[in-house]
Amino acid sequence: MIGYVVRRLGQAVVVMVIVSIVVFGILHLLPGGLVRAQLGPRATALAVHDLTVQEGLNKPLVVQYGIWAWHALQGNLGFSYKLNQSVGSLLGEYLPRDLLLVGVSMLFAIAIAIPLGIWQGYRRNRVDDHVLSAVMLIFYSMPSFLLGVLLIVVFNLWTGLLPSTATNFGGSVGNDVQVLALPVLALCLGNVSYFSRYMRSATVDNLLSDHVRTAVAKGAAPRRLLARHVLRNSLSSTMTLIGLTLPYVLSGSLIIEALFNFPGMGLLFWNAAQARDFPVLLGVVLVVTVATVVGNLLADLGYAALDPRVRLK
Amino acid sequence: MSEAAKRVLEVEHLRTEFHLRAGTVAAVDDVSLTIDEGECVGLVGESGCGKSTTGLSIMRLLPAVGHITAGKVMLGGRDLVGLSEPQMRAVRGNDVAMIFQDPMTSLNPTTQIGVQVAEPLRIHFGTSRKAAMDRALEMLDLVGIPNPRERMRDYPHQLSGGLRQRVMIAMALTAEPKLLIADEPTTALDVTIQAQILDLLDRLRSELSMAVLLITHDMGVIAGRADRVIVMYAGKIVEAASTPELFGTTRHPYAQALLESVPQLTTSSTDRIPSIPGHPPDLANLSGGCRFAPRCRYAEPACIAAEPPLETLPDGHLVACIHPVGLAQAAGAGAAEQPPAVEVVLEQPESLPQAPVVDAAARRSELADAPLLVEIENLVKEFPIRRGLGIGGGAASLKAISGVSLTIRRGETFGLAGESGCGKTTLGRIVAAHEYPTSGTVRIEGDELLKLSRAELRRHRSDLQLMFQDPYASLDPRMRVGAIIREPLMVQGVGNRRQQWERVAELLNEIGLNRRAVDLYPHEFSGGQRQRIGMARALALSPRLIVADEPVSALDVSIQSQILNLMKRLQSDHGLTYMVISHDLAVLRYLSDTIGVMYLGKLVELGPSASVYANAAHPYTHGLIQAIPIPDPKIERAKRSAPVRGELPSAVNPPSGCRFRTRCPLAQEICAELDPPMQVFGEGHVAACHFPLQSPTDDAPPRGITVAAPAAVS
Amino acid sequence: MTTQGSPQMPTQGTPQAPTQLPTVVADSEVATPTSVWRLAMITFTENRLALIGLIVLVLLILFSFVGPLVYHTNQVATNLINENLPPSGSHLLGTTPEGRDELGRLMIGGRSTIEVGLGVGLLATTFGLVYGAIAGFAGGIVDVVMMRFVDALLSIPYLFFVVLLAAIVQVNLLMLILVLSMVSWLSTARLVRGETLSLRTRDFVVASQGFGARARQVIARHITPNLLGVVVVNGTLKVADAILAFASVAYLGLGPAPPATNWGELISTGINNLFDGYWWQLWPAGVLIVAIVLAVNVIGDGLSDVVEVRLQKR
Repeated sequence: MIGYVVRRLGQAVVVMVIVSIVVFGILHLLPGGLVRAQLGPRATALAVHDLTVQEGLNKPLVVQYGIWAWHALQGNLGFSYKLNQSVGSLLGEYLPRDLLLVGVSMLFAIAIAIPLGIWQGYRRNRVDDHVLSAVMLIFYSMPSFLLGVLLIVVFNLWTGLLPSTATNFGGSVGNDVQVLALPVLALCLGNVSYFSRYMRSATVDNLLSDHVRTAVAKGAAPRRLLARHVLRNSLSSTMTLIGLTLPYVLSGSLIIEALFNFPGMGLLFWNAAQARDFPVLLGVVLVVTVATVVGNLLADLGYAALDPRVRLK
Repeated sequence: MSEAAKRVLEVEHLRTEFHLRAGTVAAVDDVSLTIDEGECVGLVGESGCGKSTTGLSIMRLLPAVGHITAGKVMLGGRDLVGLSEPQMRAVRGNDVAMIFQDPMTSLNPTTQIGVQVAEPLRIHFGTSRKAAMDRALEMLDLVGIPNPRERMRDYPHQLSGGLRQRVMIAMALTAEPKLLIADEPTTALDVTIQAQILDLLDRLRSELSMAVLLITHDMGVIAGRADRVIVMYAGKIVEAASTPELFGTTRHPYAQALLESVPQLTTSSTDRIPSIPGHPPDLANLSGGCRFAPRCRYAEPACIAAEPPLETLPDGHLVACIHPVGLAQAAGAGAAEQPPAVEVVLEQPESLPQAPVVDAAARRSELADAPLLVEIENLVKEFPIRRGLGIGGGAASLKAISGVSLTIRRGETFGLAGESGCGKTTLGRIVAAHEYPTSGTVRIEGDELLKLSRAELRRHRSDLQLMFQDPYASLDPRMRVGAIIREPLMVQGVGNRRQQWERVAELLNEIGLNRRAVDLYPHEFSGGQRQRIGMARALALSPRLIVADEPVSALDVSIQSQILNLMKRLQSDHGLTYMVISHDLAVLRYLSDTIGVMYLGKLVELGPSASVYANAAHPYTHGLIQAIPIPDPKIERAKRSAPVRGELPSAVNPPSGCRFRTRCPLAQEICAELDPPMQVFGEGHVAACHFPLQSPTDDAPPRGITVAAPAAVS
Repeated sequence: MTTQGSPQMPTQGTPQAPTQLPTVVADSEVATPTSVWRLAMITFTENRLALIGLIVLVLLILFSFVGPLVYHTNQVATNLINENLPPSGSHLLGTTPEGRDELGRLMIGGRSTIEVGLGVGLLATTFGLVYGAIAGFAGGIVDVVMMRFVDALLSIPYLFFVVLLAAIVQVNLLMLILVLSMVSWLSTARLVRGETLSLRTRDFVVASQGFGARARQVIARHITPNLLGVVVVNGTLKVADAILAFASVAYLGLGPAPPATNWGELISTGINNLFDGYWWQLWPAGVLIVAIVLAVNVIGDGLSDVVEVRLQKR
């Protein structure tokens, strides 16, 4: 197990190094360079020169990368001239809200998708499975903003139950719960459709496997079969999938935040994209990537914890 | 139980259908059988005959497409067919238990074995966790798991195949069922382990006075263990009798042909075994009449007219045949020579593989003068094992081959035997130049394989061809058969297009397939036909040496002999040299002139096959031969318990000295200290053992083998 | 071994027809009743849902590419007098905030949507196939380096990556196809690499090497044809993903500028006017996008049945 963890950690580090090189590369592929991008096309030659020296942009690329990586490691991701704030402090402000939004919606998605997938797998090819599969396929085929709008129409326009924007997030707890309800639901439904599809097929595979046949031959009832012999085995493979979907979940949050005006990193990123605020763009990309890599790592460790074949190697 | 044996199971006219896309198929058709307390009934037949489906039907464990449509399964006064699912659950694992073929996939990989063994008690009797675990411990001890207390917390992947099957048995028997259904319980295991497991089943059966339904394809296993035998073919029972009766006077032509086509240890390489032509019928497309008629050597028009009923003969056999063997054959002896009444479309009747008859002495002297084709010297192959970070301290390696030397003469068949994991497949791959050895040399016709340049090696490859075990995996599913056989000719640029196609037709003819086959895809052929297509491809370049790795072990017995005979005929027609790798010593006996036995990376015995089989010098060889189940109840029952104990040790840390010592009945201190040297036990026969079963002779050793100086032998 | 009772391969010669035994090489394609393609067709059409998906897709393509030839509208000029008109005889689905005809707009929007979907599907699949096959066949250190790179890019949430790139480059349809392909090929490469690795050890490949075939010949004759099935399925699903990703990018306002349009952008407009009750600006576009993604996904499922059946039959 220790060997596995160490190897897996090493992989995560390698991945992060490559990502940082790619992101750094993009930074320097900008037309006109980073300085122009920050100062705008009308900046004077002198101002450009000053900033170039100040940022160390006249040094060799390798050195620049070293400096940038060193700074990034210390949490210094540059300065947003457009927002007049350091990227680090911006992220410090927006990131926690995202963890809340994404975290809560993921928890709900897992809590719904796993029993749903097991149920569908158990009832495979019956009417209820077909109906659920069809609904999930529709959710799965829907752009997340469309799903969000549907929710707004139902819960706001028609019934007036919930607010349609999350702009005023950050009030009382009661207010925040109301405000977050629709974004969380929108994000969650999309993920449920994805996870449950996978959980269903993992369950079907397991139900058809030899070891479940052995359990049936022992006289196990369906409840025992699912709880003792299917759940754990299907869960371990679904675990990895959940880790792998993190990039998609985070991408979905970008859309949902834009739709609901939720002041999270996605919204920050979107505004930065429209304003061509590159330090913010790159900082956010780096942070969401770290989040993904860490998420993958956790998922793989969870997989190892659930599956003795990996754990006891 | 002092009274007469109690009836445990009574299956009456069972019919199980599968609803498939192609239509409805009766996988089990009108099957009746009974089993008494303490009795072992063997159900035997080839794959697809319905024997496993019968077992699953009794347990009502059929896949979703399967349904019991008629008949009764009486157990303890109740008809299981009529039970509700909850009622049936109370029967499974409690009154009837089942063990399956593959112990790896049949155990839950994420649950400790102790918990799995205890589960039936928890389900059926609501036993407390503690009590159930105590009982599980007893059961693990009973089935012979060493250190059961520590093993309780192990997961299946931490156990070897043999131990896993013991766990399966423990689990099945925890609730002390009245009936145990064992579906190919030893097919996935090595012969040495198979013998151990079968002994265990026998012991437990008498201790617990349990009824056992033993389902297997192996006539040898049946002969040794079953009290009565039921033979199935294409979903129907064709013959049933007590074991001595069935093997003594076989009445159904299918059962008879099946028994004849099993190569036996007494079948030498100069004998020939008959084979059953064609293959079992497609159950979705039955033409009426006796299902075996198209392949039956006694078939006559009446056989195709109506399906023969299962009838009791005067001597007690139940047989479904109009003219049972030895009783009512109208045509008498002449009929035996008749070709089958109906041919299978793609087969060329005139070229059905027949083994040539060879004179043993002539062949031996001929081979003795033949030049050497393969010379292997001190071959070593180690696979490094990745541990932790994969770098640093990575001294661990799997020792697949540790210093093997041997030679093969042109035209010879060299058989390489050993349990799985002994390194025989790796050796074959190295000889066929698909793997590089860690050290040592391989010379083919004097050319050192490792010193060839890439281009030379590529040209050389036409001399060395592989024959594969799995006929499904060895042919590209996307290519037509013609293109498959032609591919080697194209790759090596032999002849022009026209000549290549002519050669393809010639090769198809040689392996007994119609020319129409060129336009068909591999999936349109049966396993045996595919194996023949693979053979044609291997022959395309007229190779000198063919390395055949388990060439028939994926095939049914009746098909096996077709391939074995074809291999022999092609050898005599083309002067081929074979290196045959197999776990099946009977197959090797039939094919080989010389036999080598490997154990954990070492060659422990080598010699002319007649000599090795008759006078095995190494205890391992002796044990392997003893462990093979012989389809003769008299021999099989006379055997003592499993001849080789324990399991194969790890090849990463092989035992010191003689590697076999941990399982050897004769092992003493010296075996742990000194690696035994080769000694000579007759002409060309050597073995490496401190305490050989034969006395050494002073014959010259075979070429390339270094033997101990006579002084070292005390 | 639950298949014990299943029948033998259904296509073997049946014993009752020995008289028809042909002795000549079959002279036409007719003699090969179960070619791989035929088998594939049969399996696909058995999946009724996939067939419906195919019909829907064809209808949507006709709608987008042939529709404008039948239903003439001015999609360039803005016409403020006609803004936000509800559906009527002259504007079957009403008008946009710029006064353009909504139905006509949906048609040209469908065009770019489909073009991006197919373009990305094709480009990403081709590149991913080549990349993955090379990594898988080369093995060793080349494989490790190539795949670590893929791992790294895969862990960047794709939409962030796409938006970042879209913020850098001048966005037009071609550029967008390139940008989306840059993230889309990654998972294809991973899949193909895995398949190639397993194909490489298959006996028929070993056999081919055994009679001296070069790497080039092995890839051409065995690896590529056997990869085709999975790659086509994957490519189909890529088309669906690309359509969704394109819609997202357009929704974020980073798509091609007007008068060009696409379904994502039309939905975005509809969302902005949701509270004004201009339903015709939102739902038709929404239905169309769900329909096309659903259709493509269902087709992909059908194709994957085909591939699986082939694997079963081997």
